[in-house]
Amino acid sequence: MALTGIEIFKLLPKTNCKKCGFPTCLAFAMKVAQGQAKIEDCPEASEEIKSKLRDAATPPIIEVQFGTDSMKLKIGGQNVLFRHEKKFLNPTVLALEVADDDSEIETRIDEVLNSSIERVGETLRIEAIYLKNRSADISKYRDALERILKKAPQIPLILGVSSSDIAIDSLSILKGHRPILHGATAENIEEMAKVAAKFNVPLVVSAKGVEAVIPLTEKAKALGVGDLIINAEPKSIGELLRDNTFIARGALKKQIRSVGYPIITFAWGKDDFYETIVSTVGILKYSSILVLKRTLPWKNLALFTIRQNIYSDPQVPMQVKQGIYRVGEPDDKSPFIVTTNFALTYFLVKGEIENSKIPVWLGIMDCDGLSVLTAWAAGKFSASKIAQFVKESGIEEKLNHRELIIPGYVAMLKASIEDKLSGWKVVIGTKEASGIPAFLRNYVRSKNDR
Amino acid sequence: MKFSIIKESYTGSVPEITFGKNRKVSFGGEKSLPFLFFEGEHPHKPLISFEVQDSPPQDYPKELAKVYSSVWDDPVRWAKLCESFGAEAIALRLMSIHPDTTDAKAEDVADKLKKFLNEIDLPLIILGCNHTEKDAEVLPIVSDVARGFNCIIGKAQEGNYKTIAASAMAGGHSLIAMSELDVNLAKQLNILITQMGFPANKLIIDPMCSALGYGFEYTYSVMERIRIAGLIQGDPMLSSPMVADVGFYVWKTKETQAEDENSQWGSLHERGIIWEAVTACSFLLSGAELLIMRHPEAVNLVKYFIEDLISTKEK
Amino acid sequence: MLIIGERLSVISKVVREAMEKRDAEPIKRIAIEQWKAGAHMIEANIGPAEDIGDEIMEWMVRTIQEAVPLPVSLDTTNPLAMEAGLKVHNNEFGKPLINSTSFDPERFIFLELAAKYNAPVIALTVGKGGLPRDAEERVEIALKLLEKAQEYGISLEDIYLDPLVLQIATSQSQAMEVVKAVRLFRELNDPPMKTIVGLSNLSNGCPKHLRPILNKHFLTLLMYEGLSAAIVNPEEVRETIKTVNVLTGKTLYAHSYLEI
Ligand code: SF4
Repeated sequence: MALTGIEIFKLLPKTNCKKCGFPTCLAFAMKVAQGQAKIEDCPEASEEIKSKLRDAATPPIIEVQFGTDSMKLKIGGQNVLFRHEKKFLNPTVLALEVADDDSEIETRIDEVLNSSIERVGETLRIEAIYLKNRSADISKYRDALERILKKAPQIPLILGVSSSDIAIDSLSILKGHRPILHGATAENIEEMAKVAAKFNVPLVVSAKGVEAVIPLTEKAKALGVGDLIINAEPKSIGELLRDNTFIARGALKKQIRSVGYPIITFAWGKDDFYETIVSTVGILKYSSILVLKRTLPWKNLALFTIRQNIYSDPQVPMQVKQGIYRVGEPDDKSPFIVTTNFALTYFLVKGEIENSKIPVWLGIMDCDGLSVLTAWAAGKFSASKIAQFVKESGIEEKLNHRELIIPGYVAMLKASIEDKLSGWKVVIGTKEASGIPAFLRNYVRSKNDR
Repeated sequence: MKFSIIKESYTGSVPEITFGKNRKVSFGGEKSLPFLFFEGEHPHKPLISFEVQDSPPQDYPKELAKVYSSVWDDPVRWAKLCESFGAEAIALRLMSIHPDTTDAKAEDVADKLKKFLNEIDLPLIILGCNHTEKDAEVLPIVSDVARGFNCIIGKAQEGNYKTIAASAMAGGHSLIAMSELDVNLAKQLNILITQMGFPANKLIIDPMCSALGYGFEYTYSVMERIRIAGLIQGDPMLSSPMVADVGFYVWKTKETQAEDENSQWGSLHERGIIWEAVTACSFLLSGAELLIMRHPEAVNLVKYFIEDLISTKEK
Repeated sequence: MLIIGERLSVISKVVREAMEKRDAEPIKRIAIEQWKAGAHMIEANIGPAEDIGDEIMEWMVRTIQEAVPLPVSLDTTNPLAMEAGLKVHNNEFGKPLINSTSFDPERFIFLELAAKYNAPVIALTVGKGGLPRDAEERVEIALKLLEKAQEYGISLEDIYLDPLVLQIATSQSQAMEVVKAVRLFRELNDPPMKTIVGLSNLSNGCPKHLRPILNKHFLTLLMYEGLSAAIVNPEEVRETIKTVNVLTGKTLYAHSYLEI
């Protein structure tokens, strides 16, 4: 990983001599980290720092790019073992395995091309194809590859070949592609590494167990292949968890370069259910590419969702999209509650409304993911913003009443909101979500009495 | 270069919990992060309990109704069906007491429970309805009825832990302490409960579960943080075993209910099962030792997953 | 270190009611108490105050300065209220302080006001969309803020960088990031940049009896790193400040150092 501003700063002389044109060494270091200044501008910078900067451009787990111009994929580059420490980088790429002697290659390609699903504002899909050389026949492989290119010219590819001849044959027809080459083992590492180096493509090295992989990554590196990917060939979930933990720990805690590469995992399983479970473990525990045997809508949905969840940023409170949400089946008489878009607030409030069994319109306002009081103090959950939200949300068309329930913590906004929202009455709700069911029952009862 | 395995060093361990009267089961007791057998003992497998409710559920979606509707008006028959599915423990949820359902009285529930205890000898978890006040009213009576049966009682929360913990202690049961997705609050609740004299080795943390796609990552990360604090930093107040109340949260989601099979979501049957199984397996990986689940096929998947993990233990 | 008395805040019920009723007595009393406890400046936090913020701020500044001969730190997100406060502020007691701008374009207006009224300004190192994750991110935002401030013609001496203290109960690891940020902020310029914190947010949400303990010990760490100003309850931190000043050699030790 590139050095941060602070790390660069630590290596500078800290004399604040200003020769670089910045007032202090730190100001200069921050600019270097952001790529807006060059280390050479500091005449006092030592050779040591210059070489460290070059070195540090290589992160503990390297980042590898593959794919095509219109579909570039990035894998690796992780820098933490646990998600709460820092956001996991570069979500696991999901690929579908296609065999070159499969008579229905086109159907399989369609499965990949039609896999996309929208979820929480993101489009999620199977991103790549792993073309397996099951036939061990060079012309069959070439033929299959051409069929893929014809139907999906831009799809990122992983070439699973059994010999360097087939690798050369395929790579020479792939223009505008940077595929991953898979098939290097202890037996053929030299030839395969040479091919990968010649065509400048990432190379997967495979061997059973982490210890057996290390000599292969070292050899490939010595032969000039920098972009490597590890396949430690786990055969059970226990092995998958263990191998991936060894690799990630070795790279991140001990900076062992020979394991500092992304991991590719080939999912297996007695059925689609179990293949999904195996893939789940890969996504949770450090696999950068997952190759699936088969895709199915429900399976994709589960895997896309878990990937999206795990690769979310733990430090930005997860935010819910602004809008009017239905809880239950609300109608024009149902209560209308407004709160902020802090995800935890949303989940708790929604859960308690569900518990109350009373259908509700829930208005969620974009407050940068802050909780009610913090958002209010920061001026993001203010009377005028709430009024504006209500007006623009279109809720007025859905209701035959004009009553708005606000969180108890912002009771002081009542008068001011009523000022700005003519015709509306503001009702003060509870401070804590746990009080919502009781509150709603009373509210509905007293409304019916009126 | 020779690759030497990098082992984590641990200063804490998870207490082991055994419950049940005639038939007993145990979980917990491990000395390393989940399933990392190469660096610490794991004397027990995680335990899966089947959820049974004391009155016919009002919110079980179609896929669950298919399995349970023929038995759900009788908790005993329901539990026996679960036993035939291979259940090693039962989690009996007293939904009938919820003010929003039938608001059943403590005495009625007590009678039901007596009958249940007579007929079912699987180890038992007794859960309230997650209504702070009502649970505080009913769980003490329930704890007393089940005295001597060595159950797990749940869930004590910030607002009602005093009465519930005191009665669980008097009844000789273990206790689930639930906080809302916050390590600091989980620790605080454990401190408060142990300060009452409740034995720390009979406490189970429920950091609040969630379903895949609906707050999943919060539960996942809070569990990981609790395990790291308990095992690596040796924080005794965060080393308790953890429970994941998976079925309750999973079967509320759209994904387990939407019937349109032509949509991009695919078959409902498989979708529901995988939703529960993926959620459960993930929480085992983040640190739960006890699961509460609903669908038998999802349970079988998780069991298979556990066996597959354990297969590396010997090597 | 510059001590700014925090107690006149809309968060406090007494103050909120006094503000609503324009009841000068409690405001004056609290201002005087803080002055006597060692405050060099009095904070007037009127909150978002959307509707008649200008009127409230004007009244607050006047009321405070009738009671104590100190400058006022004006805390509001409402630019009209801010300008109203700046206009009536009595600069004989010292310059007012603008609390605050940040790297959110909506808040650049406060830089404009700082330039127009030649007043120092607090620059919160937060951007739009989310809180800073660590010291490093705070420094990045600080750097951008300093550039922005210079565009408005504000001299770096007139900027107080605020790393934003977060709640220990919910963001434990942020405490040390804030300490580190204070150290790093100083390194951003020569002479060192000024730094400020709103101290008591640290213990927001904690049990009452713990709050002063947490606040005081945190202030010790921050002072060691060279913090230049703090918005605090002066009474609560009086001993801490004096003692740290003795320990760091800023004041000469005498048995009765706490009494003077
Ligand atoms: S020239 Fe180098 S030593 Fe001098 S201030 Fe700039 S970074 Fe620091």
